[in-house]
Amino acid sequence: MKNDHKQNGVDRRTVLMSMGAGVTALAMPNFVYAQASDKVLRFGLSTFPPSVKPHDNTGQAANTVKLMMLRGLTGYDADGKLSGELAESWEMVDPQTYVFQLRDNAVFHNGNPVMAKDVVFSLNKITAEGSSAFLKSDLSSIASVTALADKTVEIKLSSPSAVLLDLLANFNANIIAEGSTDEEFVGAGPFKMKSQERGVFIELERFDDFYEAGKPMVAGVKFIAYGDENLRYAALEAGDVDLIEYLPWQNFDAVDASSTLKMSSAVGPFMFLLFNVTNPDSPLANPKVRQAIGYAVKRQDVVDAAFAGRGEPLLGFPNPPGSPFDLSDPSREWSYDPEKAKALLAEAGYPNGFDCTLLATSTYGMHQDTASVVAAYLQMIGINAKLDLPDWGSRVTAGKEGKYDIAVHGTAGYYNDPDSVYTLLHSDNPSYLQSFGFKSENIDGLLERGRQETDVKKRKAIYEELATAYFEEVPQVPLNWRQQAYAMANNVQGFNAYPGFLTFASPYVVDDTSVE
Amino acid sequence: MNMSLPIPKRMVFPSILLILLIVTPFAAPLITGDDPTAMAIPQRFAAPSFEHWLGQDEFGRDRLARILYGGQVSLTVAFVATTIAAVVGTLFGLIGAYFRGPFEFFTTRLADVVVCFPPILLALLVVTLFGPGAVTLIAVLSVLYFPAFARIAFAEALRVSALDFVEASRALGTPSRRIVLRTVLPNIAGPLSIQYSLTAAAAITIESGLSFLGLGVVPPAPSWGQMIRGARAFMNQEPLGILIPCIALTLTIYIINFFCDRLRDALDPKGAQGAKDAISQPVTTSQKAPDLPSDAVASVRDLRLVTGPASQSVDLIADVSLTLRANECTALVGESGSGKSLTSLALMGLLPDVIRQENGQLLLRSKSDGVVDLGKTTAQGLEKLRGNDIAMIFQEPMTSLNPVHKIGFQMVEAILAHRPMPKDQARNEAIELLELVGINEAARRFDGYPHELSGGMRQRVMIAMALSCQPKLLIADEPTTALDVTIQAEVIELLQRLQREYADGLGLLFISHNLGIVSEIADRVVVMYSGKIVEEGPTDVVLNAPKHPYTRALMGSMPAAHTDLHSSRNDRLAAISGTPPLPMARPSGCAFRDRCPMAIAACAEHIPSLDNVSDVHSVRCIRADEVVTA
Amino acid sequence: MTAFLLRRSLAALVMLLVVGTIIFSLLIIVPGDPAELLLTTGGGTTTPEAVAALRETMGLDQPVLIQYLQFLGDTLRLNFGTSIIDGTEISQAIGLRLPRTLELIAAAAILALAIGIPSGTYAALRAGSAFDVITSGIMALLTSVPVFVVGTLFIYVFAQILKILPAGGYTALSDDPAAHFRALILPAVSVSLNLMAIVFRMTRASVLEMRSHDWVRTATAKGLRRKLVIRRHILRNAMGPVITVVGLQLGILLGSTVLVEFVYNWPGLSGLLVTAVEQRDYPTVRAIILTVAAIFIVINLAIDILYSVLDPRIRLK
Repeated sequence: MKNDHKQNGVDRRTVLMSMGAGVTALAMPNFVYAQASDKVLRFGLSTFPPSVKPHDNTGQAANTVKLMMLRGLTGYDADGKLSGELAESWEMVDPQTYVFQLRDNAVFHNGNPVMAKDVVFSLNKITAEGSSAFLKSDLSSIASVTALADKTVEIKLSSPSAVLLDLLANFNANIIAEGSTDEEFVGAGPFKMKSQERGVFIELERFDDFYEAGKPMVAGVKFIAYGDENLRYAALEAGDVDLIEYLPWQNFDAVDASSTLKMSSAVGPFMFLLFNVTNPDSPLANPKVRQAIGYAVKRQDVVDAAFAGRGEPLLGFPNPPGSPFDLSDPSREWSYDPEKAKALLAEAGYPNGFDCTLLATSTYGMHQDTASVVAAYLQMIGINAKLDLPDWGSRVTAGKEGKYDIAVHGTAGYYNDPDSVYTLLHSDNPSYLQSFGFKSENIDGLLERGRQETDVKKRKAIYEELATAYFEEVPQVPLNWRQQAYAMANNVQGFNAYPGFLTFASPYVVDDTSVE
Repeated sequence: MNMSLPIPKRMVFPSILLILLIVTPFAAPLITGDDPTAMAIPQRFAAPSFEHWLGQDEFGRDRLARILYGGQVSLTVAFVATTIAAVVGTLFGLIGAYFRGPFEFFTTRLADVVVCFPPILLALLVVTLFGPGAVTLIAVLSVLYFPAFARIAFAEALRVSALDFVEASRALGTPSRRIVLRTVLPNIAGPLSIQYSLTAAAAITIESGLSFLGLGVVPPAPSWGQMIRGARAFMNQEPLGILIPCIALTLTIYIINFFCDRLRDALDPKGAQGAKDAISQPVTTSQKAPDLPSDAVASVRDLRLVTGPASQSVDLIADVSLTLRANECTALVGESGSGKSLTSLALMGLLPDVIRQENGQLLLRSKSDGVVDLGKTTAQGLEKLRGNDIAMIFQEPMTSLNPVHKIGFQMVEAILAHRPMPKDQARNEAIELLELVGINEAARRFDGYPHELSGGMRQRVMIAMALSCQPKLLIADEPTTALDVTIQAEVIELLQRLQREYADGLGLLFISHNLGIVSEIADRVVVMYSGKIVEEGPTDVVLNAPKHPYTRALMGSMPAAHTDLHSSRNDRLAAISGTPPLPMARPSGCAFRDRCPMAIAACAEHIPSLDNVSDVHSVRCIRADEVVTA
Repeated sequence: MTAFLLRRSLAALVMLLVVGTIIFSLLIIVPGDPAELLLTTGGGTTTPEAVAALRETMGLDQPVLIQYLQFLGDTLRLNFGTSIIDGTEISQAIGLRLPRTLELIAAAAILALAIGIPSGTYAALRAGSAFDVITSGIMALLTSVPVFVVGTLFIYVFAQILKILPAGGYTALSDDPAAHFRALILPAVSVSLNLMAIVFRMTRASVLEMRSHDWVRTATAKGLRRKLVIRRHILRNAMGPVITVVGLQLGILLGSTVLVEFVYNWPGLSGLLVTAVEQRDYPTVRAIILTVAAIFIVINLAIDILYSVLDPRIRLK
């Protein structure tokens, strides 16, 4: 949030990336680590990818694996800056037209070069009727994709988009060889599939013809799934794996103190409360009540109890760290103020509070712990929230069907721009991640305008307005940012967590990671 | 054991523990004023202090309050669920086992179907359907555990109802309900109570397991499982957090196990006693060299057996002396508790270890080693004597043979224990013996199991087995009591024939309360009452002219027709009121005086001595001379 | 015997059908939509159209009755089909996972029997002695400490501090036998602890009961050596109840090694089942349940046969 906005703005008309800077930067490490390249990076995942499909979003673990095997047109470099992947360069011809130049040396795992027709095929597959692709609605603004030449492709939009390049950098915007299916696909990532056992491990080996010379620096990656967070950490400490994601919060201190382990963390995902506002008789349909809840929770306690102190209170609109805009403003923040909360409740007609259910899930400890603390604070202003903790599957259904009064959730956007809350707030896209029945034309309109506006100043004004609307209409009550950490053995070099919402894109950096 | 009895001593301590265990959590408000759900996050992981005796947990909540209130939840869930499972399961099992047919099919298959669902899956599905919480948990656990009870009740009931006494009561027309409740249920109570304790213990741990998976009690309500779940993540930094609920769990389960063990012992005392197979070693207090008259095969001198702690030991038997001769049958006669069986067990070196030999000498003529003093023989030495030089037949042929081994195996085992030989030869000898004792198709029976034989046949097998090593002395402890009349006569005839035809002169010690049989078989009669010999002499002398009022009472109880007496399994005296005194409650002086029609004041003064009334006849009664043969 | 086996097989078939129907209906009424879950794994967003599209691919747009009939037909042809989540052959996944769970259970059972029976026998023969009291106490402890606490502790001590055993995971026997058995140690011991306590208690109780039977006195009166009396006339008879309980436990263990597999990342059948339930992968859940049920039926049959061998008074019906 402290970011200024001079860096990678969307006003950048032409970005020529990679080749020059990339090669010089990477020539050295390649030379240095050439000898150590028989090492395999053993990577402890928090869960086994339920399925690996190029364009479906099946969770963080799957996305990590996909980043190894597949690439899209754009991506992020080790600093979290937008970079070219299969696209060597691109040009915004006009706000609704982009032309991408593909790398000459980009080849698929089957040896065929990556061609413009493959890009056309892939993007059309995402936006096709009946597609279950994650980016289907986000990329629905693509009017056409045309192969201008073997290595040149043009994307025409039906409306301007400030975030197209970020969307294309998403791990679900992968380019696959023409003719691939969800099950049988050919990608052009740095690694290719060697072997796997469902639920246990996935073993990848280096793709020698990867387009970035000298990369990757390890002979392969072996992903091992550890569902139990205690074991995931224990496996790292015992030396069974080199690197783990989702370092449990209670182990941060131990890693800090360890002489053999290190970690890289970033404040990224955030926790928040959702409300069922469909029933007009429900107290929660009243924004004043939701505001009261905003004032009622002491957020540092949530951070301390659920995240071992590793996080930051989030008092207002979740503008990601690293966002081009600074939207902070104390006048639209919920500081901890129980008196004000009670006053608002009284004003709304509930001076004695009310009874309700608080939905979370027992599957994830952080959700359950957050709910416990929130319930304790709601109790203090007279709201008697009964916890409902089904397993994750039921939790999702309950959220989708509105079988709750208040719900706890946590997530992250996919890029460091306020637009990444679009799917969390826009009513065209109702899901369990949104307050059930909440619809605000004002907020919807602001989100649409922000996405289509390419002028930085105007965009900022729009998002200022959105932050105020967020505070007044309360589509969600934010609680806190949480730190998301990767922990690794000291001999793992070159791996670091990406900032803000990009934290889940961190595996891009495996390209630059080596094991000594 | 009758349930209306006051609580046995051994149950007192476990009962107190169990009550404490149950009461303590529910007395939580008296112990701590803290609210188990009140958070104080700044004080998370605070060490124990005066305000918070066990410290504070990861939310800063008071651990003592949580462990106590959590105990309420955990114990309620575990006990309610286990009780439901036990009642339902046992009912299912009993119905299936007793009525068989479609009932059996239905109950066993239903249980099987339930068991097919892995517990966690069942829990997962039920919890997803009904939402987590204590009631759901109880439902899950009951469903989960009732098949185990059903199966055990079924298997055990099947085993028990195959036992003869149940078949007998069924044949007598006892209503099924009564048989199940009175006969079968107490007999399977042992395994079921163990299952109960295992289940209650498991239910408590499963509660924690389900809480661990988030399927248990819903926070903020505390439960031990939840406490463990919460503390596990911090176990390396904050071991106290996980230690406390684990200790509570362990203690609880230990107490439940302890209680159930004792309960089972109380319900089914045979398992609890110092146990019959633990043997007390004979001793010798006589300085005399082991010496026997040439025609004697064994002798008991001044035997005194006691029980109870050394400070307040009670005489079971005192001053018992007996000489047993080759080719002679000595009958030991008396009511239950007179000490006749103990005397014979002492000779076998088979006294249970709760009974000690305080005085006396036990001598035996061994085939190989001449005269042996049992008191100077090691446990291994006794093993060599038993079955080889001295053998015994017991009262209950139905239970004296091991049901799981073939008859042949048990016989060959007896032969090979003392006489190493090839298996084939042992087999042939065993079959010959079976033929000798009058078993038809001996070769076929050799490969059969005891349960395929009638009681009389089994007793014949026991006799054949006892004779397999040609012992010098055969003790028959009420060998015919459990048999019906015609069979009794056959077995007696067999014993007489064997003694007559037995090569080297077998000494027979025949124990009975039945003078009718004794008159047929015995050469000498020894009458015992309350641990002492009261009359001894040749059979015709003692039975024709009994000198002791007790012997006369025994004679008087004999109906005119022997057969009637034979069929009676009740060895109470018909002609005389009362029962023999318990060893710790004997009257002063003559032990019989309470029941004696001739008792006078002098009888209470001192214990009469065993005096000779003729060369061969002795009596222990101060009024022996006044007794006139009726 | 043949008639007995035939009848039991028929009964087993009916039972499997009942089990299959129950699990099918349960899964229908349990909330949670596999398509939506898959597309929102880890808390992501999706769209209703995407969910609908995926449901169609999964075949969940069919009427329930059609799905049920299809399931019955497939099952009767022993065709478990493919996972709706990732399209893999279910029978292949089970074939891979089942042996591992069986290995874990077998190793645990061997350990539990090897320690539980002798110590239970000894404790019963010396009932009330110091050995009895201490061992009974330890066994009570074993039943009461949850397996995930034991597991966490073991991992902490043996993997994190001593670093002599891996924290978890699995290596195929063919890849590296030493690593395979090293990874087996902690999970097998963890599973066996509880089982060991059960075997101990059952053996102790059973021996206590058996040793007071008349035939034991008969055997002693025969002059058998004490060792033989114990072995042939006490232990041999005591094994019936022990076998029943152990058999039952083994069956239950098949589906309840979940916690151990979870704590040690042992890739067995239970873990697959839990994941399948979490993902609402209906065909996989059904296939695993049917497999477990079938094995359970076989175990039951084996116990019944064994029981009748151990106790000739029990006739097979």
